Amino acid sequence: MTCSDVRRVLPGIVDGEAGADFQAHLKDCPACSELVGDLRLIASEAGKLAEADEPPARVWVGIANQLRAEGIIRESNADPARPVLVPAPARRWKAWWLAPVAAAILAAGSYQLAHYKQSAPAPQEARQTATQPPAPTQQAVESKVESAIESKKDAAQMAGKASSPVNPTARVAENHNPPVRAMAKKSEPAEDEDTVAATGQNLQAETSLPPSAPASADDEQFLSEVSQRAPGMRLTFENQLRAVNAEIRETQEYIKRHPGDVDARQHLMEAYQQKAMLYQLALDRVQ
Amino acid sequence: MESIPRSKAMTAVLAACLVSVAVAETKKEYRYSVGANPVVSVETQYGGISVKPGDDNEVWVVATRQSDKTEVDDQQIGDRIEIVSHLFEGADQQSGRIDYEVRVPSNATLSLRSSTGPLSVERLHGDLSVEGTDAAVDIRDVSNGHVHVNTMRGPVTLTNIRNGHVEIASITGNIAMKSVTGPLVKANSGAGKISYDGDFGTGGEYKFTTHSGNIVAIVPAGTSADFSAHSMLGKVQHDFPLQPRHSRETFQPGSAFFGTVGKADSAVVLRSFSGRIRLKQH
Amino acid sequence: MPGLPFVNWYNESSSMPHLNPVAAGKGNLTDPKQRVTEAEAIERAKQGDEAAFEILYNLHKRRVYSLCLRMVSNPTQAEDLAQEAFLQLFRKIGTFRGESAFSTWLHRMTVNVVLMQLRKKGLPVVSLEETLETEDETPRKEFGADDAKLSGSIERMHLKRAIDKLPPGYKTVFVLHDVEGFEHNEIADIVGCSIGNSKSQLHKARLKLRDYLKSMRAEKAKTG
Repeated sequence: MTCSDVRRVLPGIVDGEAGADFQAHLKDCPACSELVGDLRLIASEAGKLAEADEPPARVWVGIANQLRAEGIIRESNADPARPVLVPAPARRWKAWWLAPVAAAILAAGSYQLAHYKQSAPAPQEARQTATQPPAPTQQAVESKVESAIESKKDAAQMAGKASSPVNPTARVAENHNPPVRAMAKKSEPAEDEDTVAATGQNLQAETSLPPSAPASADDEQFLSEVSQRAPGMRLTFENQLRAVNAEIRETQEYIKRHPGDVDARQHLMEAYQQKAMLYQLALDRVQ
Repeated sequence: MESIPRSKAMTAVLAACLVSVAVAETKKEYRYSVGANPVVSVETQYGGISVKPGDDNEVWVVATRQSDKTEVDDQQIGDRIEIVSHLFEGADQQSGRIDYEVRVPSNATLSLRSSTGPLSVERLHGDLSVEGTDAAVDIRDVSNGHVHVNTMRGPVTLTNIRNGHVEIASITGNIAMKSVTGPLVKANSGAGKISYDGDFGTGGEYKFTTHSGNIVAIVPAGTSADFSAHSMLGKVQHDFPLQPRHSRETFQPGSAFFGTVGKADSAVVLRSFSGRIRLKQH
Repeated sequence: MPGLPFVNWYNESSSMPHLNPVAAGKGNLTDPKQRVTEAEAIERAKQGDEAAFEILYNLHKRRVYSLCLRMVSNPTQAEDLAQEAFLQLFRKIGTFRGESAFSTWLHRMTVNVVLMQLRKKGLPVVSLEETLETEDETPRKEFGADDAKLSGSIERMHLKRAIDKLPPGYKTVFVLHDVEGFEHNEIADIVGCSIGNSKSQLHKARLKLRDYLKSMRAEKAKTG
């Protein structure tokens, strides 16, 4: 058995297909042994490269958007045997709980931003600094979250009560949720958003504020509500919720690695605002 | 009894079908007299809403229903008009559809909501609030008002919006702006693209943010703006020279740029978490 | 992180699992006990079911993206190519009759999309049917290669760079086999060559990579 013999059947040896005849030669020939070892190593290391490759969420979003635009994805029509909607008087108010949950999401988002603060805020762009109002106190944020939680309890009790004639221009959330109102109304939205952001940036890291209810339970309840009221929309909202949660998670993980990054915290706040907007859209649409 | 000749029977069946179709789709017109600053709200679960300017002092609405499983609930309180689609049991996306054509005084305050859309508004000067889940939103030739748009994944297109206070938010919908200027223009999309084609006006603040969607701004020569762009994980580039401007923070190469063009009249902030940002010249 | 427990604002079970639970016939995503097979997802996707498309996407996204990334070495471009490959596939899903494995079909489309992109950029794309070299298979020696042994370890960054240097024909087969784990008969199906050709291209790719890696190691040793 010579080196030329080995080289002739090298692919088979590397992939373990060749017979044992060549083993003896490899034992005695460092050059061939090294060659075979190197090629096997290259093959095995290459296999590990794929493990870390994961496309970002926007790839799927782009695909889904395009398929929808081309009519390839078709929304399922509601089962005609099953009522899609209930008569007007009851339809809006059963989802009252969504509004304070949306408020709790935003408020707890501010709270979370406080946890990421490891040092004094990095210097900001002059314009952004100039537009921010003075930060509210820690107590103000605590009471905001607690009142949101209380509002949720109240809303649950209020569910099912008959409503006064619907006024579409006034959001149901208005009475409970100034930050979400800021998303939808024209009245000083910029200030409200900046206030929420400023809140997160200026609180001290140490706080005894109790966390609000786990979001996963809220997400499940949210989807369950949508399923009951408008089952045809469930899939849509679930996909959107998944996208928004992925954004939140992604940003949180980034902030864990870069706790002093002001821009990252702003992105996290926006992701929470997106989630609150999704809840709000469901509140307005679920009937 | 003689059997009906086949051709006559077919004709009768065909006529019956046409009549039933005509009956299924019904149009109804509503007219309201209003004063100087009317507030008009139209809401429909399924269906499009199209709003154009009409006569002063009158709001005119035509509602087209697809079946008798729906009704239009309207009320007028002073200068406030509210129109809401109601769906009865058994209504679905087809049978529950009501489309609205609306004419309002050009300074009317408008609030529109639809799940499926499309929603379109043109040539008005009042404040607009538009909300759609999947609805495509198209707003054009609007000036001097507040423009607020929220969609879940419906695409938003704004064209020729002047002197506006504009705020657009979408979760995964694309936002396209062409010739949109004003004291404040904010656009945010989670995963959708934001594109801007225009000169950023004079003296306004523009802020476009996405999570993973890409941001593209195409500007003409003669633009006067201060640009600040940063993507945490995506690539950032500009295709024409900017006067560099100092930023107090430091960023990875290729992830940010700061600079001015012209007299830097307007402030433009472009931010993305992982999307690409590109500034191009016409 | 100081202070109170981290509040998770996302629901793990709804965060893009590899296989979404779909109750058969109802499109209900809530029952984790009922799962669909790929074949069922394909049938649903033919009906325009978004959840089914997403299942198929999640099943294959890593491999498709990885293939694109290894071929073009640019994450942004790889994302665009992966998106295009899935879009082309999903547009034609109505024509899929199961003659070949779905993944084979998808990866064939991906390879075509990538090679088309490389052609657009003016890069030479060697036909995979050609046997490129008539010389013997002894690898060419590059300067200093004798002194630089791989010694049982390869830096990931070096390997990525070396793969990037491979000619497209070699790169395609190497990525499909060693990175993505396809067998030669599958590769032959995907790229439209013979099994023998696939084996030969793979071997040459590995030899070339060994040369590149040894050069890189030698360079590194020189510069310290």
